[in-house]
Amino acid sequence: MNPLIDKLKAVKASGKPVIGCFPLYPPLELLQALDLEPVVLWGLKPFYPRTPKSDQHLQNFVCSVGRHLAEFVLSEASDLVDGLFMYNACDTLRNLPEILQSGLEDAGRAKPIFNIHVPQAPRRQTDAAGYLADEIQNLIETLGRHFGVEFSPSRFRATAEQQNRARTLARELDAETASGRMSFRRLADLMYGNCFRPLDRQIQVMEAALETCRTAEPRTGPGVLLSGIMPPPSSVSSVIEEAGLRVAGNDIASLARSYAHSPDPALPPADYYVDLYYNHFPCSTLLGTADERPAALEALAEERGARGIIFLGEKFCEYEYFEFPHLEKRFKERGLHTLNLEFAIDDDQNPGPVRTRIEAFAELMS
Amino acid sequence: MLQPLKPKSRDSLGRIMTRYYEGNHLEAAKGKFVVWIAIIVPTELLKGFDLIVCAPESHSAMCAARKVGAAQCEKAESVGYSMDLCSYARIDLGTFFDQGRGSPSMGLPRPDLLISNNDNCSLLVKWFDVYHREYGVPHFVMDVPFCYQSQQEKDRRYILNQFQDLIRLLEEMTGQKFDYDKVREAVRETNEAMKHWTRFLKLAAHRPSVNTAFDSFAHMAPYFTWMRGDPALTEHFKLLADEAEAELAAGRFPVPNEKYRLMWDNIAPWHQLRRMSTRLAELDANIVWSTYATSIGRVEDRLDFFEWDGGDPLHYLARLQNRGWCCYGMDLRYKAMAEMIERYSIDGIVFGSNRSCKVYSVMQMDLQKRLARDFGLPTVMIDVDHADVRKYNEENVFLKLEAMMERIAAEN
Repeated sequence: MNPLIDKLKAVKASGKPVIGCFPLYPPLELLQALDLEPVVLWGLKPFYPRTPKSDQHLQNFVCSVGRHLAEFVLSEASDLVDGLFMYNACDTLRNLPEILQSGLEDAGRAKPIFNIHVPQAPRRQTDAAGYLADEIQNLIETLGRHFGVEFSPSRFRATAEQQNRARTLARELDAETASGRMSFRRLADLMYGNCFRPLDRQIQVMEAALETCRTAEPRTGPGVLLSGIMPPPSSVSSVIEEAGLRVAGNDIASLARSYAHSPDPALPPADYYVDLYYNHFPCSTLLGTADERPAALEALAEERGARGIIFLGEKFCEYEYFEFPHLEKRFKERGLHTLNLEFAIDDDQNPGPVRTRIEAFAELMS
Repeated sequence: MLQPLKPKSRDSLGRIMTRYYEGNHLEAAKGKFVVWIAIIVPTELLKGFDLIVCAPESHSAMCAARKVGAAQCEKAESVGYSMDLCSYARIDLGTFFDQGRGSPSMGLPRPDLLISNNDNCSLLVKWFDVYHREYGVPHFVMDVPFCYQSQQEKDRRYILNQFQDLIRLLEEMTGQKFDYDKVREAVRETNEAMKHWTRFLKLAAHRPSVNTAFDSFAHMAPYFTWMRGDPALTEHFKLLADEAEAELAAGRFPVPNEKYRLMWDNIAPWHQLRRMSTRLAELDANIVWSTYATSIGRVEDRLDFFEWDGGDPLHYLARLQNRGWCCYGMDLRYKAMAEMIERYSIDGIVFGSNRSCKVYSVMQMDLQKRLARDFGLPTVMIDVDHADVRKYNEENVFLKLEAMMERIAAEN
């Protein structure tokens, strides 16, 4: 049986409806305030080494995030999820809902899909705060009607505070990784595990991890940043660290881009999400943040003393690939070393093809 | 055997497009304000100003049609842009990084402002961001919500607000005052042009068709330029429709022994317009209809042209932001294709699975299954990049096309 099923059963044990959220940055606090239990559908590769169901619906030039997501939804594991949530995170994800519903229909199943449109125009050009506020309100009403749940402002505040606590802990773990007291591989695995844990359990796991690493012997070695949509396969993370490099920081969508910013939990939901999305750590998929991204990365590199950056290209993620050449150029102009790696759906745990390149890159900096 | 027809329209097309590209460079050299747009950005709104408007996507399509697409792509790839990126983007970026060399129009004049939108695809925004950084000019991003059903009022209001922001920005940057009446006139003119375009397209209903989809692909070009909202477009589309009607009356058809009436789904295969149409004609096959050529002027699942009712032109243009094909979902596409099949007596569907255009291609596997099931139609999915000939294999494609035609013949 797919081990994901056990994880989902553990989440479902809370008795609350479980909502599978498409990446990248779903409004988790809102779902929790409605007494729903969100899980974020990242990091599905270990559970779906092959994607036969997805392959009946998606061409092979769709990225692994889309294909694994489709595989999950079309598989039995998704029966443990009571609904799906998505927003316009990228062109592939915006096209998925009807494809998934078509596939579920073929299998005699159904799953409600809820969505909002997150404004993408830069705020200095178009103030869409009012539009986003309406989208949030509509979502609250739609979910409330469907699941027979009521939105609670006090519960929203409480979960926003908890989410902020979770993000704070994640940032502390990130700092421990930067200092060498925690391996990046462990950080990445822990954060992926959190995608399928209830929030209070996420906090417990992170607190325990922090306790352990505070007494660990820090690894030394030149610091590098990792940048991309997802961490590399865990074997590649090990290769990076075995090559003597220290991951001084990351600009990874499923990691630091997700936990870098915490809005004020006292804000009402509309204002909270205007803050979350407009002040988000720059991401290639949040179109309005593109101008801020190079400076944000450079500031991170400087703050953490990174001497290089490894770009982790998720194959077929055009959002990242349109930005890599410019970022690479900016880093090189500042005397930093850069390395471009690419990972596709078929790249499994064999780090062989990239080991030599990573080791050569490490030698440049030692 | 393909009978090349519509000579007057062909000459007209060559003339107006040459005048357009040359004119842009000449006017820009005189200091006129230059705007680059994504093709769904409402050109008619920009007619409220005195500008030059260029569309990089159209430029890329022209490069691909003139067989320089692959060479231009390689230039972008050599400076780090992945081969997996949209070939339109790679062609245009390659042209930019080589200062216009290799492009039949020597590229486009330097922009003063970039206007993209994300209803076709978000990658247009990322592509224009490259120019925003390289040229150091402002980039206005028009955010258009994707629709799974008809465009909603809340989204139309949001788009209208963005139009106002754009107008304010243009007034600031150009020092000109927005001329609302000119926009009204441009919308009226586009409507006139689209009546003729629709008249031309509908002639495909005749068996054999007096048109091929390849005609429509070529003649779409002026719509995606500054000529939209201009009498030049109306004149060209009128000439095209008149000429097609005359050929119908005279019994002159591009594929006189038309046995297979096919529909094409995806962007035009620009590098194969003549080759594919000729080879299909030799097999007595005609692609009589395409979702691509019919996407201009219609919205969502409606097959007919979405006419202006004479009301506020800005409201009309906001409504039209969900035209095209890629800005709405599978259900709406299915409904439109279902009506196309019925109206135009389609025998088979060719789905061009296009690595450069996920937004067009990603729904195709499910659309193919549904349409084949509901209409009992033979269908085929071929691999074809619309602008990068390196991702096209003619023999593989025709193996599949011929197999489909054999099935059509057997079932008929």
